[in-house]
Amino acid sequence: MKKKIIYLSFAAALLLNGCKKSELDLFPYNQEETGQAFNTQSDVTLAVNGMYQGITASGSYYNGAWNIVPDLLADNLIINQAGRLSQKLYGEWRYTASATYPLFNGGYTIIRRANAILENIDKFPAGAFHDNAMGEALAVRALVHFDMSRVYSKTYANASASDLTVPYVTVTDPSIKPSNETVKGLYDKVIADLTQAASLVGTTNGVYRFNKNSVNAILSRVYLYKADYANTITTATAALGASPNVADIATFPKIWTDETTTGVLFKIANTSLDNINTQGTNYYQIVGGQIKSEYVVEYNFFQQFASNDVRKSSYIQTSPYNGVSYNHVIKYGGRPGGAAGVIDAKVIRAAEVLLNRAEAYYRSGLESSALADLQLLKRNRYTGYVNEVLAGQALLNEILRQRRLELAFEGDRFFDLKRLGLPVVRDQTHGEKADGSGTPYVFGTLAASDFRFQLPLPQAEITFNDNLKQNPGY
Amino acid sequence: MLFFLLTTVTSIFAQGRVVSGAVSDEKGTPLPGVSIRIKGSPGGALTSTDGTFSLRVPANAKVLQFTSLNMEPKDVALSNNSNTLSVTMTSTSASLQEVVVMGYQSVAKKDVVGPVSTIAGKEVAQKPIASFTQELQGKAPGVQVTGQSGRPGQNAFIRIRGSGSINASNEPLIIIDGLPVAAAAFSLLNPNDIETITILKDAASTSVYGARGANGVIVITTKRGKGKPELRYSFQYGHSKKLPLYNLTSMNAQQKLQYEYEGQYTNGLLDTMINNRKASGAFPAGATLFNIPEAQRQDLWNTLISRSSNWEDLLFQNAITKSHEIALSGAEGRIRYYFSLNSTDYQGILYASDFKRTGGRLNVEYQATDWFKLGTNLGVSFSKDNQLREPFNTQNTNAGFYLINPYEQARLANGNYNPTLQGLNPLEGTDFNPQQIKKLSSFSTIFGEAKFLKHLTVKSQLGINYNTFNEEYYLMPGSNLANILGYNQKRVQANQDYLLVYTNTANWTQTLGGKHTFSLLGGMEFNKDKVYNIQLIARGFPTASVNTLDNASTPNTTSTSRSDWSLISYFANGSYDYKKKYFITLSARRDGSSRFGKDVQFANFGGVGLAWDIKSENFIKWGSLSSLRVRASYGTAGNNNIGNYDALGTYALNARYNNQGAAIPARLPNPELTWETNKNYDFGLDAAFFNNRLTFRADYYNRKTQNLLYPVNVSATTGFTSYTGNIGGLVNKGYELSIGGDIIRKKDFTWNVSVNYTNNDNKITQLYNDNQVAANTGSIGWLKVGEAINTFKLVQYAGVDPQTGKDQYYKKDGTITTTFPSSEAVLLSGKSPNIKYFGSINTSINYKNFDLSAQFYYSGGNYIMNYMWQVGASNGESINIPQFTEAFNYWKKPGDVVPYANLNDPTQNQTFDDTRWLQKGDYLSLRDVTLGYNLEGSMLSHLKILKGLRLYVQGTNLLMFTKFKGQPEVGLANGESAVQPGVYNLYAYPQFRSVTFGIDVKF
Repeated sequence: MKKKIIYLSFAAALLLNGCKKSELDLFPYNQEETGQAFNTQSDVTLAVNGMYQGITASGSYYNGAWNIVPDLLADNLIINQAGRLSQKLYGEWRYTASATYPLFNGGYTIIRRANAILENIDKFPAGAFHDNAMGEALAVRALVHFDMSRVYSKTYANASASDLTVPYVTVTDPSIKPSNETVKGLYDKVIADLTQAASLVGTTNGVYRFNKNSVNAILSRVYLYKADYANTITTATAALGASPNVADIATFPKIWTDETTTGVLFKIANTSLDNINTQGTNYYQIVGGQIKSEYVVEYNFFQQFASNDVRKSSYIQTSPYNGVSYNHVIKYGGRPGGAAGVIDAKVIRAAEVLLNRAEAYYRSGLESSALADLQLLKRNRYTGYVNEVLAGQALLNEILRQRRLELAFEGDRFFDLKRLGLPVVRDQTHGEKADGSGTPYVFGTLAASDFRFQLPLPQAEITFNDNLKQNPGY
Repeated sequence: MLFFLLTTVTSIFAQGRVVSGAVSDEKGTPLPGVSIRIKGSPGGALTSTDGTFSLRVPANAKVLQFTSLNMEPKDVALSNNSNTLSVTMTSTSASLQEVVVMGYQSVAKKDVVGPVSTIAGKEVAQKPIASFTQELQGKAPGVQVTGQSGRPGQNAFIRIRGSGSINASNEPLIIIDGLPVAAAAFSLLNPNDIETITILKDAASTSVYGARGANGVIVITTKRGKGKPELRYSFQYGHSKKLPLYNLTSMNAQQKLQYEYEGQYTNGLLDTMINNRKASGAFPAGATLFNIPEAQRQDLWNTLISRSSNWEDLLFQNAITKSHEIALSGAEGRIRYYFSLNSTDYQGILYASDFKRTGGRLNVEYQATDWFKLGTNLGVSFSKDNQLREPFNTQNTNAGFYLINPYEQARLANGNYNPTLQGLNPLEGTDFNPQQIKKLSSFSTIFGEAKFLKHLTVKSQLGINYNTFNEEYYLMPGSNLANILGYNQKRVQANQDYLLVYTNTANWTQTLGGKHTFSLLGGMEFNKDKVYNIQLIARGFPTASVNTLDNASTPNTTSTSRSDWSLISYFANGSYDYKKKYFITLSARRDGSSRFGKDVQFANFGGVGLAWDIKSENFIKWGSLSSLRVRASYGTAGNNNIGNYDALGTYALNARYNNQGAAIPARLPNPELTWETNKNYDFGLDAAFFNNRLTFRADYYNRKTQNLLYPVNVSATTGFTSYTGNIGGLVNKGYELSIGGDIIRKKDFTWNVSVNYTNNDNKITQLYNDNQVAANTGSIGWLKVGEAINTFKLVQYAGVDPQTGKDQYYKKDGTITTTFPSSEAVLLSGKSPNIKYFGSINTSINYKNFDLSAQFYYSGGNYIMNYMWQVGASNGESINIPQFTEAFNYWKKPGDVVPYANLNDPTQNQTFDDTRWLQKGDYLSLRDVTLGYNLEGSMLSHLKILKGLRLYVQGTNLLMFTKFKGQPEVGLANGESAVQPGVYNLYAYPQFRSVTFGIDVKF
């Protein structure tokens, strides 16, 4: 009986003992509380890296579909019928609010990361560290807002005062339901942020982060879209320095294999560990040792690449797939010995800034300066180039033609047409094959006034956020 | 203790007399190990192996008490005239079967208050299916089961009384021998080891599991030994084949080429052939497929067809399933044991698909003393699975059949695999990018149980479910995918999941004055789960024949991660009956989960159940009535099936930028995140007539869910789209009916038929943010108050305009447009993926030594977005991949009234998510037919060693009746997309039809 009582009391003790409530306080092993994310300077460095990581990881930004969609929305690329027929939605202008370009969500994910830094940065003493981090955050916030407005909205120059764009978000408050910003308002805020960033950001951050030059480079892009040519010239000059280096003919091909950073002002790292091959697979995969393209160079555009143009061999390879010859875009093939299609994402290059300035010079009536910039670029692209003399419309046309050639397959063409108020006009007589045969474009023209120049905002956001207005036409 | 007893016998009670005798069971078989005690005195003895005993008893001793496991205790009065006894004990096994394992305790079946369904182990045993979850289909009313896919080892989706949750898991809690087991381990439990499956559906039954009982509880008990030692050997051999798509036919090569020609499409193979002929001068320079003479075109086609492969034969295999099992079980005196070993090899119906399992189980109970019992249930299983991938491309073997044209060849002239126009040949992928998954699972419980003071039982149990998962995925050097990616690579992933469950209960059961029986149970339980992951990736293997990472030149990823959850529970349960006429049960439970906000981790749950046995009242005089009982219950249960850390707002530190550390916002905080709770009402009636030949059971239920766990939308401009919150409520109500009858009940001939039917109506009752897109439905499912969850929202299709040949769509105002109006989608009230009714029709016939049983399963009321049909009848959008023959029925000239738009109008070469592709998922399937022949007892008496022999043949999925285009049982869309089950189909591993032969021998 005694034994039983011992057992019984033991059993009772087991029952009553239970466990400590603290057993329920579990925390993830790879995370920290949001409130603890900005305690030290190294936390800020981690957060700044996290902001850029957002660009690396976004499937619709510089390391994603950005390098192809604006080209196939326009007239630089034509679909290869032998490919997987991917991304047809864009080339045929058939996007809808429920299937639109997804930069909206991805963009604000990056913006939140910038805003978190800006909300916390004043915990740290004034000085170079504080200013640099703040400058980078302001610049990223501005860049993403500006790029979203390029996709979803009219540009400053062709928008009315009441034309709307995406909201300009500067807080991390999760309860916001912001309404649209006006296009003009957004440009003002982008410029304000970038201008402040340029005064804060350091000069030694390297090409994988924003630095003073690259902030000015982006500013020159924004001012060009705003048609503020004086400021385009000022900021472009600040970015380029006294002797602009757009990479010479020997160096230029190495930009596309990440073997040089010459001529690159800002790019997003995509390491072999990150292993994101979207930039490459947007264009092609290698099947049976042959390039199998999703999209190939449009027939007439291909003819624009002269044989002494280093860009022709750097950007394009004419080779057969299944016995048919195509003009494949090889700009994103990958690093030597590396994984196919894994390559850093170029955000802005000196050549673009030079072309921004050339155009701004021209539109400011400074034709000789414009011509000098044009010659500088062409000298570094065409073997045996002899300075030519161009003036008036011919000069402008050549600047714009060089812009199309230089920035081909980098996500510029559609926005450029939009900025210039030009329609997309496609040749419906030639197909995708190198000899011009094959299947021509099914859809030929997008008028400059067509609502589809402004892609729709995502339906999910419109449904949820009743303050946000959809673009006209959708 | 035995020693103690023996010493006392000899030392203290040396006076008196010696009583000897023999103990046997009803059949006269001697019973060894029976405990014999002298009432009122200490001391006793055990029977020896031949059932005999000899015991010195004091002079004043009057009664001997005989007890043995599995035998009813027996008191035998001592006679003054005789010193020898012959005792016959009766087996309790008959009454054992009437006990229902309700969770922490067992209850006599006649005392169960709730609508509990019990499934005997033999109903899920000996099928060519690895996971028992798939075998629950049709076995019980209210339990809706959909196979996730036909992949061997795949689990089923189980919905008990509808979907009570939108996003948190709707799967019931599955408890094996007192241990809540992770879904990953289901396929590692040998179904033949299952003794019974008890399905707890209402609050009276589940609330003792409060915490996670909201979706119902399935309690599985594995086999215990009983009676004489028995050795059983079972063998099974079967063939399985892919089920066809119903109501759809794929174009053959000639048809597909004709369709492409009509659609003005030149595929890459023809294009190359034409170019070659142009180069050789056989065709003129400007030749195209469309300007060469018909004979030349047909000649090209014939050449192509002559080279083509039979992809159906290559991609799908006639799968062979084999299994062997040995089991030894028995009970003897103080010990009961069940021991089994099994080895199975289930080939899948896709090329090279294979699932092998080897395992064993040892269940032992030892009655150490008459008041203390200890035991263990140990199951260990190992599986090896040649896993095939299931994305929506040709890396998925099944998708390969629907994406690779029938005129393509599988191998090139040089013998290498042809990558095909799709760029990836699934056969090549399977051979050269093997993915093998090995799992080791152990289900172990050890327990001690002590009885005190006659009425009190205290039990302490430690359970461990340990699952390891080891995956190796090798992109071999030289494989097509390695060439495409520019690197060869091996990925090794190892995962350990360690669940510890510690349970302590105390149970007091007593009957007072023969009328009042009450039982009280109190206890606590602690669950802790830890998952540990390792991932290693390396590149640069020199050759395909070596595949361990030490052979690779370039390490790529080395990563580990951890995750854990815990749950603390206290519970109490009381039941009382008066004269077995009036029953009441009460339960209460308090649970704390680590997954919720710090101040709201704990919640209380409880339930009450009432039953009235009307038959035992005197006023019921209806002669044909054998039993009649009414039941009612109400209670609450919870659901915490969300991510482990969803309440916490955090930054993740496992990111990097430019190979440096990075911190990124991971989650918005929700300190108020708390339990989803379920209020469950049930009213039931059980009746039986004509000496139980006709049985009837009906239940009405109403399950109200509150504080639904769901992603709460936020504006995407915040950088997040949602956080996990409690967003509203929904209700499932319905009724369950089952009727069974023994049509013939003779000694040598029985025939019974049973039918069950369940009707479930699912409706959202409250949403803090109404009218929103439902997560994981591909944006076509919607959440709206008053509608079922995931109700479809689509643009309404208005047919093809007979004049223009263009697809037409309705706008909301009723007008018709030919431009797809995505903003004009309407909520299709009543059309959702939720199954509204289902059930089964079962029959079994026993004639002499033959038995024949069949089960039909039916299910319906749900709608499915049929993407496989859409892709295969795409108006030319997908003209580059195989199409179904019905795509030929497109518009050709004004006046054509046809289902498909003009193939030659480029504006029509696109399909959209509209109502055209939304189909009813109703079907009736002949799920199972088994014919068996049994030899037992006397017929085998001349074969001394053989106790029983059974031969059977069994067929699965033999017939299907449906109007759905494709396979109507849609579980997973495919294995690699997170879609709510049943919303749409997308090339998941197909279901199969099989025929299996088996033999069971008992020694």
